[in-house]
Amino acid sequence: MLGTNFRLHNKRLFAPFFLIVTMLLVACGGGASPDTPADTASEQPAEAPDTEAQTDEKSTAEELSAASGGTLRVAMQPIVNTDPLNISSDSEVLVANHVYDYLVDIDPQSNIVPRLATDWEASDGGLTYKFTLAEGVTWHDGSDFSAADVAWTFDRLRTAEGTPTADLYSNIESVEATGDLEVTFSLSEPNSFFLYDLSDNHALILKEGTNDADSNFNGTGPFVVDQYSPEDRIELVANDNYFIEGQPSLERVEIIFFNDDAASIDALIGGQIDLAMRMPTALFVTLQQESGINTYSIPTNGFDLVRLRSDREPGNNPNVMQALKLATDREAIFKVVQQGFGAIGNDTPIGPLYEAYFDPNAAPPARDVEAAKALLAEAGYDESNPLTLTLHTPDTGGRPDLAAVLKEQWSEAGVEIEISVEPESVYYGDDGWLEVDLGITGWGSRPYPQFYLDTMLVSNAKWNESHFSDEEFDQLVNTAGTTVDDSQRVKSYREMQQLLIDRGPILIPYFFAQLGAISDQFENFEMKAFAGRTDFRNIQFTGS
Amino acid sequence: MAASEARSTTKSTAPGLGRRFFGAMRHLFDRPTTALGTTVFLLFVLVALIGPWIAPYGFNEQIYADARQAPTLEHFFGTDNLGRDVFSRVLFGAREVLAQAGLGTILAVAFGTFLGLLSGYRGGWLDEITMRFFDSLLALPALLLALLLLGTVGQSQHAVLIVIVVVYTPIVARVARSVVLSVRNKGFVEAAKLQGESQSRILFREILPSVMPALTVEGALRFSYAIFLVASLGFLGVGVQPPSPNWGLMVSEARPHASQLPWAMFFPAASIALLVIGVNLMADGIKRTLQAAG
Repeated sequence: MLGTNFRLHNKRLFAPFFLIVTMLLVACGGGASPDTPADTASEQPAEAPDTEAQTDEKSTAEELSAASGGTLRVAMQPIVNTDPLNISSDSEVLVANHVYDYLVDIDPQSNIVPRLATDWEASDGGLTYKFTLAEGVTWHDGSDFSAADVAWTFDRLRTAEGTPTADLYSNIESVEATGDLEVTFSLSEPNSFFLYDLSDNHALILKEGTNDADSNFNGTGPFVVDQYSPEDRIELVANDNYFIEGQPSLERVEIIFFNDDAASIDALIGGQIDLAMRMPTALFVTLQQESGINTYSIPTNGFDLVRLRSDREPGNNPNVMQALKLATDREAIFKVVQQGFGAIGNDTPIGPLYEAYFDPNAAPPARDVEAAKALLAEAGYDESNPLTLTLHTPDTGGRPDLAAVLKEQWSEAGVEIEISVEPESVYYGDDGWLEVDLGITGWGSRPYPQFYLDTMLVSNAKWNESHFSDEEFDQLVNTAGTTVDDSQRVKSYREMQQLLIDRGPILIPYFFAQLGAISDQFENFEMKAFAGRTDFRNIQFTGS
Repeated sequence: MAASEARSTTKSTAPGLGRRFFGAMRHLFDRPTTALGTTVFLLFVLVALIGPWIAPYGFNEQIYADARQAPTLEHFFGTDNLGRDVFSRVLFGAREVLAQAGLGTILAVAFGTFLGLLSGYRGGWLDEITMRFFDSLLALPALLLALLLLGTVGQSQHAVLIVIVVVYTPIVARVARSVVLSVRNKGFVEAAKLQGESQSRILFREILPSVMPALTVEGALRFSYAIFLVASLGFLGVGVQPPSPNWGLMVSEARPHASQLPWAMFFPAASIALLVIGVNLMADGIKRTLQAAG
């Protein structure tokens, strides 16, 4: 009766075994969470989504050779953009940061330090800045560096349309070479954070007239590009003519591209690479038990932001957001989602690392589910008419976990949450993230707090995802951003924190930690909160 | 006289087959491997039915103090990184996977049978069009087709159901059609036609019983593939949203923690494997008993 086409093959029974074995093998590889805190993903709001980086996996591990003297092999996600004007991801910035130089740099403690500029002074009530440039600087092509190169670079950055730097430097009226090694900036209004703005990730100095910056790596930086194989690796050799005596210490840096964080950690354990600065917390915990590897966890100013649109129902009733804040158990979130790495958040982007600006007394009220219910009842929500919201989140980092925890915690206050986990390209695509009512957005670490306020929270901010609009707040942000009086700036920042806790439509449950691991054959490694700005100039090879 | 003889022949064909069919089903427990498969399957069905009542915790209930625990008497399968009881989640997940895969398979078998019967019996341009269309669907790998569909119709639990139906209907239809082709010129069908019976009566009363055994085996097979498909889609994170206890999604969520919390990944993965093996053994047994029954 049965036709031959129904014949069962016993080998089909092996399919489930195959499945389970595959899953276990994949797992033993350590797993691959799409990213780590404070990485490119967190950077998304600041830059266009970096979806092009999704290229095919390579059998990189097999191609790698054994360690050689003075070569640092770094695992990084593939780079797409090489012109400093367009770079955004950690890896793109890392490459550019070693081929080129900034005018001024930021140290791991977020202080401004000299780089191409050795000295500077502000005058005119903060409207004029004069920089003295280092002597003996040459380009990789052998020509001499001069102030004209700096002026040309900043003119390019501030006039290139549609770039983040055009906004950032709109306050610059002119940049002029006022001497062979002296450059002067004139501003249209005072800017307390001008030096920080000058050390923006994109502000690497190019040679005047460069028109092929995406293929010609003619920098002044500590390393020279030896070979670039797109989607595979970029190899750098020490710049023998670097203007700082004794730097760099390393002979070579090889930046090897990995799409899969888990694969890069395997390569690190296997000794095929020396440094990784992007990994999920779970893999970091595994690495801590490995011998021959030093692990680093540093606190950052980056954070995940849970925000509710405040310009329409239901967020236009401030009770709603306050209720959600009261229903949130931050310590539990910090413990299970962050595994205790980083710091507990206080619903403002001004975190504890900003030291003087941070007000330790401005803390959100403790969790109180009953108070949350009462606030919701005032807003007209109860058991028969529960507050129902969709929580949108990118599929990266700890965000899906954060969403699952919030859903459970808020359900105790009677709030019904449906989670929508979306690929990052979908979440940020077509500015969808600016439209949705309730969303989770990662924000990368910045050395100064004004960036977050200007781009995310003032009324007309470009990325005002919560649609927050508060006159008093705008005033405080403006004061903090333009005053030359330090104490007034501190006061403004502290007032802002309490204001955001009281009526801001944002919830910041934690600040990220930046995680990194390096072979113990290297010394003087100092990671930065934005991993791409980590400086390899001082790293020393001590192995054999 | 001839007509009444023909009538009695046709009348006896269908019930005869039906009796043999259900008689054969009774032998599912005769063979040890089949009995094992059937038992495993029925056990999962039982879990799906009563799971939510016997589960000690909710599927998204988070006990922070117990997070990241290995299996204990308190938490049979341990807890995941958020402090959720893996055992409870697996129990809740059984309902989801069986409901989606089961309902999807039933619908796919129903549509596939109808289209296969009609197409095979009528032949001609209807057969050509239907089968060429199904061929084009079958040209795509099932998972790829599923992802394409989910990208088009949007992602939801209903979408997953639609996907299963669309992916498996053509296969079932081909099976049904091929059986129809082998019986449509047989005596009892010819006799029914001569008697002037309606097309639907011929299709469903005369031909369908002949197709039933093949469909039963095919249905059981499709069911095991559908379980895979539901789990695979969950693993890829499409058509399902956290904190769903979909086993595939659970495996995917547990991956980054695999070296520290292997149990959070092992138990849902083992459940998928066990259920699929059970269903396959059962399908194999059905085939053998039906073949034996003739």
